[in-house]
Amino acid sequence: MADFGEVIETRYVLSREQLEASKFGFSPVYHSGSPTVYSPGDVVNLPYVSGEVSSMTALGNAWAAYASGIGPT
Amino acid sequence: MGSKSGSSFGSFGAQDAPLINKIKPVTTEFSRGSVPNSIARMDRESAWTRWRRGYEIACYVGIQHGLTYPFEYKVPFPVDIAPAEGNQPLILGVVQGFPTAGKEFGVHWAGCRIGAILRFDNVTDSSGTLASIASVVEDDEYWYVQLAGSWSSANPLPPPLYVPNPSGAPLKPLLGETLEDRIITPGSSPVTKDTLNPATDKRYGYVQAVLIDVDGENGILKLQKSGSFQASPDNVYLTPSAGAFTPGRYFTVGTRYACSCQDFSRRSYAFMMNLSEKETRRFPYTRPSLLKYGRHELITDANSGTIDNRAMTDANQNRDLTLTTSSIDNPGVFTDFGGRYLRNIPADGKAEGPTTFVDYTAKDNQITSFSDYWTPLLDEMRYCKHIYALRFEEGILPPEPSDLPVGTTESLTAWEQNLVRETATSKKHSQYITTLRALALMDVPPKNFQSPQMLPMMQKLLNVPTSFIRLENFRMQDKTGAFYNPSAYELPAT
Repeated sequence: MADFGEVIETRYVLSREQLEASKFGFSPVYHSGSPTVYSPGDVVNLPYVSGEVSSMTALGNAWAAYASGIGPT
Repeated sequence: MGSKSGSSFGSFGAQDAPLINKIKPVTTEFSRGSVPNSIARMDRESAWTRWRRGYEIACYVGIQHGLTYPFEYKVPFPVDIAPAEGNQPLILGVVQGFPTAGKEFGVHWAGCRIGAILRFDNVTDSSGTLASIASVVEDDEYWYVQLAGSWSSANPLPPPLYVPNPSGAPLKPLLGETLEDRIITPGSSPVTKDTLNPATDKRYGYVQAVLIDVDGENGILKLQKSGSFQASPDNVYLTPSAGAFTPGRYFTVGTRYACSCQDFSRRSYAFMMNLSEKETRRFPYTRPSLLKYGRHELITDANSGTIDNRAMTDANQNRDLTLTTSSIDNPGVFTDFGGRYLRNIPADGKAEGPTTFVDYTAKDNQITSFSDYWTPLLDEMRYCKHIYALRFEEGILPPEPSDLPVGTTESLTAWEQNLVRETATSKKHSQYITTLRALALMDVPPKNFQSPQMLPMMQKLLNVPTSFIRLENFRMQDKTGAFYNPSAYELPAT
């Protein structure tokens, strides 16, 4: 029993049948080779090792160089 | 009550009282000619239509992933020495092609820059203090976030938040980005809407809002409440957000989308060929009534400066985007694609008005930012159906826009069923015919990233100056998950 003020999970819990019926667009697809995967990006280059620069810092450096007239290389 | 009709005075006497059941709705507007009435126009402009259509496209196109191109963009190092391959700072994204019969080259390309790619947990002031969210002040329209650290005119926020510009006003490249307070501790993975706080066994939740302005000298970010959203602790998205950012956390940027279609780019174009009918070349023209004061874009050879608008080029042939402004539209090439006018929340409460075409900032003729369509609507920038399809594919069920089409002659259910049927038919056609034809006409990413339709779109997607979009900075991922370098003539695994 939840106490007053607690956050309650309010979603419906779907049955297996309901979940399967709702999977429109997920019918079997036949393909050869491995499906394409790509990194989720959230954790790229983490933790930073020596010599690595974060994307934020690198992008900042690129913009700063650009603003002072230095082109991309 | 009624006038005497047929008298020598004609019928300009008092009019009959109108019978309610005989009144016909107004179906056209003064001087609009054959243009549909305002209800049809509103329906066409409805975000709901794009949202619904995007779901159909995601179902029919998305599951095959025939034209999906994940890429890594290596941030260029103009001054420093770049780290070794594999340790370079990256921006990750994916470009998805949507075969379209109505598009000259047969494919619209929609891009997604993956979220949380720029993290604030390594932004520091001059003494090394991390720029976490120190405090939040709010008024009716904005949150003002003070970042931790000591900031002054001598030590302003670092680039890319605030870039001093020797030749003018400082650049603020991140304006228009969505920021999310998803990093709890430095170096950790950003929380998602599902992440539980182990200490309390409740979800962290987070808030997303659009960055409107940066006060670099005081370390203050101004974020807009309108269009914000909140991943609430009970795992639902609320928009606008019911709360402010959590002090102590760090910002990341949100997922960013861009598309080359006319709807997103707000520009139409001439068709030099006609894919769906017979293959006759056409001479581009623009009706005089559509000629507007505006800009047009030219793709030029990076070395010689000559115009090079080809759709297929060598992977080592870099090109620049040249803007021509203060002139009329280039007849037949680009015309204004119409407008979307939002009402401003602020106190003056006036509508935003039509597109001004001074909708970008440029430096040395390189676009540094676009702003025309960046007005966020609910939690999003103005998305086209392709971007909605990308979001459905990612499993991010985008919130259903509330502007349902109205005034349809049939029921909305019949209208939807028709939409499903139409999508199925057109996708069958464009999958098998348009795709083959398109691939013969134009190149695929990254080799088309500098084509006239793609370069402005890539600028919007990556949010870097157009001159930084260089083919040698892209690595593409093949079906085995390995990355290859097209500018070094490497190929995907067979």
